[in-house]
Amino acid sequence: MKTNFLKLSFLALVLFTASCSSDDNDNTIPAVETIKVSNLNAPQTGGQGQPVGGEFTKFSFSENKVVTTDKWDVAFRGTTIIVNGGAKVGINDEPERTGSGAISIVSNTFASVTTFPAATTFAQDGAAVYAIPTGSGNGWYTYDSTTHIISPIAGKVFVVKTHDGKYAKFEILSYYKDAPAVPTGTSLSPFYTFNFAYQANSTTTF
Amino acid sequence: MKFKITFFAAVLFCQISFAQEKDSTTVNKLSEVTVTTGTRTERVLSSLPLPMSIITSEQIVKSGVTRLNEILNEQTGIILIPDESGFEGIQMQGLDAAYTMVLIDGVPLVGRTSGVLDLSRVSVGNIERIEIVKGASSALYGSEAMGGVINVITKRPVKDMFSGSLSYRYATFNTNDISTNVLWKKKKFAANLFANFYSTDGYDLDESTTLQNVEKFNNYTIQPKFYYDFSQNLKLIVGNRFYNQKMNNAAVIESENYNGDAKENEWNSQIKLEHKWNSKIYSEYELYATNYKNDSFLNDENDVLFEEAYYNQWLFRPELRTTFSIANDKLTTGVGLNHETLDRTYFDHNVNFNSQYVFVQYDYNPTEKWNLLAGFRYDNHSEYASQFSPKLAVNYKLSNNFSLKSSVGYGYKAPDFRQLYFDFTNPSVGYTVLGYNVAEDRLNQFEEQDQLLSRVAGISFDKPLEAESSINVNFGGFYKRNKLKIDVNTFYNAIDNLIDTQVVAQKNNGQNIFSYSNYNKIFTYGIEYNTTYSFTKEFVLSFGYQYLIAKDKSVVDNFEEYQYIRNSDLQTIKINKSDYFGLYNRSKHTANIKLAYTIPKIKTNVNLRVFYRSKYGMFDTNGNQILDQYDTFVKDYFLTNLSISKDLTEKVMLQAGANNVFNFTDPNQINNLAGRQLFARVQYNF
Repeated sequence: MKTNFLKLSFLALVLFTASCSSDDNDNTIPAVETIKVSNLNAPQTGGQGQPVGGEFTKFSFSENKVVTTDKWDVAFRGTTIIVNGGAKVGINDEPERTGSGAISIVSNTFASVTTFPAATTFAQDGAAVYAIPTGSGNGWYTYDSTTHIISPIAGKVFVVKTHDGKYAKFEILSYYKDAPAVPTGTSLSPFYTFNFAYQANSTTTF
Repeated sequence: MKFKITFFAAVLFCQISFAQEKDSTTVNKLSEVTVTTGTRTERVLSSLPLPMSIITSEQIVKSGVTRLNEILNEQTGIILIPDESGFEGIQMQGLDAAYTMVLIDGVPLVGRTSGVLDLSRVSVGNIERIEIVKGASSALYGSEAMGGVINVITKRPVKDMFSGSLSYRYATFNTNDISTNVLWKKKKFAANLFANFYSTDGYDLDESTTLQNVEKFNNYTIQPKFYYDFSQNLKLIVGNRFYNQKMNNAAVIESENYNGDAKENEWNSQIKLEHKWNSKIYSEYELYATNYKNDSFLNDENDVLFEEAYYNQWLFRPELRTTFSIANDKLTTGVGLNHETLDRTYFDHNVNFNSQYVFVQYDYNPTEKWNLLAGFRYDNHSEYASQFSPKLAVNYKLSNNFSLKSSVGYGYKAPDFRQLYFDFTNPSVGYTVLGYNVAEDRLNQFEEQDQLLSRVAGISFDKPLEAESSINVNFGGFYKRNKLKIDVNTFYNAIDNLIDTQVVAQKNNGQNIFSYSNYNKIFTYGIEYNTTYSFTKEFVLSFGYQYLIAKDKSVVDNFEEYQYIRNSDLQTIKINKSDYFGLYNRSKHTANIKLAYTIPKIKTNVNLRVFYRSKYGMFDTNGNQILDQYDTFVKDYFLTNLSISKDLTEKVMLQAGANNVFNFTDPNQINNLAGRQLFARVQYNF
């Protein structure tokens, strides 16, 4: 009897394990899809010596669109990018942070960023601090004071903890309309083109 | 590209193979040349332990060029190129224009724009020779001589004479050059009087734009120099130079046209006493003053004043030098002081620099074969830390035909007025650039006026801005046999504390405030090769080549920060460290071939020079902030200059030719290359 029980238990275990693994195979988390967003317009008012203002253009990675609700993840205005997490930086026309978003800046190619960075590397906006630092060479772009061209720094991938605690990664490709390979003084800005991938599942990889 | 290199290699090979043939026909001996810039005493060029070259007045005349920048541009290892701001300056051993000191008769020119001296200010009509010392020369000349020294030496009458020349040259772009030079000496009095007038319509590489590449301008130079010999042992020299230029000033700002004038005025005055105490002691007492002034304005379309700018720099410098001859050796000592002032637009007030210095040099000749040059200079300065600049150089003569030389020197360049006192806010964009010494106060002011968003953490201005410094090493050799002359030099420069701009704060308008800081380290190394072969007295061929590597040390050390680039599809890719090309505006290969052919029968001289510059990059084009192999480069190019001179009579010379014969231009990328310039000149000698 004892032996039978052991045998049965063993059989059950084998069956269970087998069924588990077959379930796993069916439920593999699909590889995240890289989506390109083109010409996201993020105008600002003022500038050139005048106070900068205007509504931020808010973007949601899960909805893959510009939103006007509080459920945004990152928002753009001119060259400034903010995240839906932390506190107000202290600039004009700034939206409330209602989410728990944060950003980690990773140096790599977009495709090679496959695991989430350590939690300690994520930063939020705060008084006079940006999660993505502003200014030429500090955050996502460089500014050429001769040609006045804004160029996204290559290999800067931003891993975003979204407003509701999911993860996405994005890389900015261009600041100009229709993403010309070589922008000129007449190229229209600010029109963001960026790649992003959104991980809807609870996992630690893209 | 491959073809071009093969071509040069072929020419080089020809020279060597020709050289190996023993020629029994008349040997054209290359005469010994005496120079002064390397040691501040007279020395024979070939035995000097320093990398040095000269340009003779004959070479200048035969080349048919008229300004200093043009003749220097034809020398191996020297290239005159526009920097990022478009100002044309000299690059030597891979170092920028700010690091070469330019002297006229041993005293320096001032008046630099963004560190660049405009060498087209100097006319070459009265030049005896130009001496070029490459490598750190701060041990004798102090700041600015970190990359080298160029000394323009004017003609000096040595025996009783009255001679001179009158010359007129007309060239493309309605360019006129009229020069006259008189050399006169009678017993104790002597004089060299030079006058030049130059005018041009400038040139325009892109007719569709309102602005020309170079606007119309004219200038004149008057350079009288007087000599009085109190005795054989006491001689007085009084030299003056006046230069005045007037140029059309034009600008397009936010599609509005603006027009005005830009005027430059320069004055140099040198009083020197040459005093021979006895056969062992010789002194020179020198007083030098110079003033460079620049005034410009722009009016808008309604003739209302839009912008005015001025720049007014003075340098006052007394110096005393004494040379003691001790057996075969020479001890040279010098003491002097600099008083410099600058008043300009974007400076809060008139600023002053004061410095005192001493230098000592021992020229030691223990045996026939060895020559040792050891020296140092000590500069005490009012605005930055004192500098001690030592130098050691050795020449070893293996035989009369062959010598090896090496030198090690320290060079430095003091922070200039702009880096310390600039206070400029761009009116249309709104960014601000502040000099290091005024930055703290101005930042506090911005803060009080509520214009400041944040200051960059960790940046303070407590410690004074340090001088840029360099270690320079040269090793080379000199070989001369029969008709062949070869000069080779390898060089290495390591520059520390390079001063560059960085962001120090952000303004509420979203723009940055920049200031200067001791930023990074760069190094350059390479080899320079010069050879001349005289087939006959009438036919001389020379070849020059420089290989250059110039890199930023922080890029080499931290390449991970620069390894991602953006391709033409805007996707990021990863590159290797070996893909790093180096600093902007440096070509790996520069070369020249010069051919001088004289036809005695018809008293005609043909002078053909071909110059090559390999590809280089002016800025990062793929998003990693450095120049790598995948960036867009300015393509390599050849330039050809030709001049033909004919002595019509003893006194009259005719000359015609063309600079840039094949009309090479690259309007989008090279703004200082005008197209083909034909010229004709007539010179009357008396």
